[in-house]
Amino acid sequence: MTVLTELSTLDVLEAEAIHVIRECAAECERPALLFSGGKDSIVLTHLAVKAFAPAGLPFPLMHVDTGHNFDEVIDYRDRMVADLDERLIVASVQDSIDRGRVEDETGPRASRNRLQTTTLLDAIAEHRFTACFGGARRDEERSRAKERFFSHRDAFGQWDPRNQRPEPWSLYNTRLRAGEHVRVFPISNWTELDVWAYIEREGLALPSIYFAHEREVFERDGMLLAAHPAVERYPHEETFVETVRFRTVGDATCTGAIRSTAATVAEVLAETRASDVSERGASRADDRTSEAAMEDRKRNGYF
Amino acid sequence: MTLETPMLRVVAVGSVDDGKSTLIGRLLHDTGHLTRDQIEAVEEASRRRGRKGIDLALLTDGLRAEREQGITIDVAYRSFDANGRRILLGDAPGHVQYTRNMVTAAAGADVAILLVDAANGILPQTRRHLALCAMLGVRDVIACVNKIDLVDYDEARFNEIADGLRQAADAVDGPRITAIPLSALLGVNLVERSPEQTPWYDGPSVLEVLHDIDPPVAEDAFRMPVQWVIRHDDGDVDVRGLAGRIESGAVAVGDEIVALPSGATSRIARLEVAGQERDVATAPLSVTLHLEDDLDVARGDVIAAVEGAPQAASRCTATIAWLDEKPLTMPGRFDAKQGTRTVPVMVEALRERLELDTMERVPAETLEANDIGVVDLLAASPLVLEPYAENRALGSLILIDPATNRTVAAVMVSGVLAEA
Ligand SMILES: Nc1nc2c(ncn2[C@@H]2O[C@H](COP(=O)(O)OP(=O)(O)O)[C@@H](O)[C@H]2O)c(=O)[nH]1
Repeated sequence: MTVLTELSTLDVLEAEAIHVIRECAAECERPALLFSGGKDSIVLTHLAVKAFAPAGLPFPLMHVDTGHNFDEVIDYRDRMVADLDERLIVASVQDSIDRGRVEDETGPRASRNRLQTTTLLDAIAEHRFTACFGGARRDEERSRAKERFFSHRDAFGQWDPRNQRPEPWSLYNTRLRAGEHVRVFPISNWTELDVWAYIEREGLALPSIYFAHEREVFERDGMLLAAHPAVERYPHEETFVETVRFRTVGDATCTGAIRSTAATVAEVLAETRASDVSERGASRADDRTSEAAMEDRKRNGYF
Repeated sequence: MTLETPMLRVVAVGSVDDGKSTLIGRLLHDTGHLTRDQIEAVEEASRRRGRKGIDLALLTDGLRAEREQGITIDVAYRSFDANGRRILLGDAPGHVQYTRNMVTAAAGADVAILLVDAANGILPQTRRHLALCAMLGVRDVIACVNKIDLVDYDEARFNEIADGLRQAADAVDGPRITAIPLSALLGVNLVERSPEQTPWYDGPSVLEVLHDIDPPVAEDAFRMPVQWVIRHDDGDVDVRGLAGRIESGAVAVGDEIVALPSGATSRIARLEVAGQERDVATAPLSVTLHLEDDLDVARGDVIAAVEGAPQAASRCTATIAWLDEKPLTMPGRFDAKQGTRTVPVMVEALRERLELDTMERVPAETLEANDIGVVDLLAASPLVLEPYAENRALGSLILIDPATNRTVAAVMVSGVLAEA
């Protein structure tokens, strides 16, 4: 007789993600996995490796590098890619600026977050990618909650939330015209806690900035930002040293740190369970500008 | 072989203004799934719209167009835990013209939460939603008689609506109904029971039902559409793994299987779940199967238990939900995706259209967006088909219009026709 074991929520979420990754690889001509060095894209990469084991990935990883990343994240990225022996494409925002595709913002509020969109779309066109895997989750933000697993983008990279393709029974329509692409979100149904629980279960390594460390920071809009060469401070913004960690990893200019002494995955999990601030609320300066900020950026081709 | 379902897929449906957004917002709020900044954002949005207090409906209405029009126009998904069980809640729009989104959200759902306004009672849209639930195989409906506070918690009014709903469900041969007197706004019978407001009601709260409801009956026969063939030669062994998701049943090392449509048989030599060796695996896991024999199997094929294995067929009758703005005209030519196979199909005959509110069958020349019909389909090459009622994965298709690339229909197989 066959003995079955109980499945956990993580087992089901893992299976769903792998199903989506395999569907995309099978149906889309030229996929790439958008790798940011953040925990969501690390989990996504791990799932992709599992989906095709023992063979390697049938697509490359692509990092849109703002040039304002934390060094720890770039180190992690390069080590991980070497360990996995996979192909990494780096699309650089600095290159886009140097080639006059975009103009760098200046001043204390300058961020390259918006500029990334051009760099990403240029890279998609240059490499003729037809699908980009992303680690976005529906629990992150209200407009994300409406995003499909396979999210169609027109030739301008735009998302039309009113005209999304229905996805009954996880039957995904991956048809494209020339110049179009799809964004594919295998971990759509995961929550931030699921991601941490999975990192713990699978014993995944993360960039060190996810864990408590001492860092020179300053306060802006009630958030702690890192003192970083890419961030210009107002005269009144004094720096001080705090024990902090990051809940998300992005551009140093707009990723907030939180005060924390959680130094291990288990401690981070415990803290996240108890937290009463959402991940985005804690860390993303760029989303606070307007109620519809994320939706507007997504329409225009943002991640 | 019943196992706890760790994740329950739930769809919330109702007519506009029945209080669905409020219910979901309240459910997330009262179960502690909202963080301080999320609550503050909703408070701020409520103020800006001149609402008194906090309007929890604003939490789920995610998109700008929706905020402007004040209605939900696309399916939004939320996750929360009901005392240890993960609930994945799809919020389906109420407007008639977005019935297609309800089909998207309810396909694959285990349970539906159906809202009815206690003052308005059962509307044609309510009957349509029940009929859609029945059609899509949603076996349990939690019928929330909402805004019960506005009818003074009247027991007779509740019973009248609950009885009407049971009759409506019976009429469509449909789901089990659990009726609950609810105030989404005030949280009555939502998370906890509220004997103070409804002393005459001794049933469960909405959250209790979500936690306790029986998992869907396992569709026991093993079926796995092949998604991808993993090839790997590490010098010693030439690995050839069949990768896919188990759609129903379970499979173990040593089991005899058949590959369809070829009909070739073999045994499972080894199997992996997410890259790890296991002896046995069950739906809905993503696995890699290694067979004892080197069968010629490719993406689109189905691996099945030998006993009771489905037949490959080119013809079927089916219920079709038309989703596209461009109507179905005959003879319709499309690409059908079923399991992991995509083939050209022709809609050979449009037998009738279903009036969902009356369940009347009327002759039809065409189907428009949000219409439900019955059709005969002919596929250009054989598909491994089973009736939807027996196996959801092998009994469901989408149709893609090759001219527009849009997904134009969701299809449920009702009968597989012998080759002509
Ligand atoms: N009195 C009362 N009003 C409610 C209740 N539930 C919802 N409402 C109100 O009904 C209106 C429509 O609710 P909403 O959640 O937006 O409906 P939806 O269109 O189904 O999402 C809003 O003004 C709500 O505040 C309830 O239980 N009691």
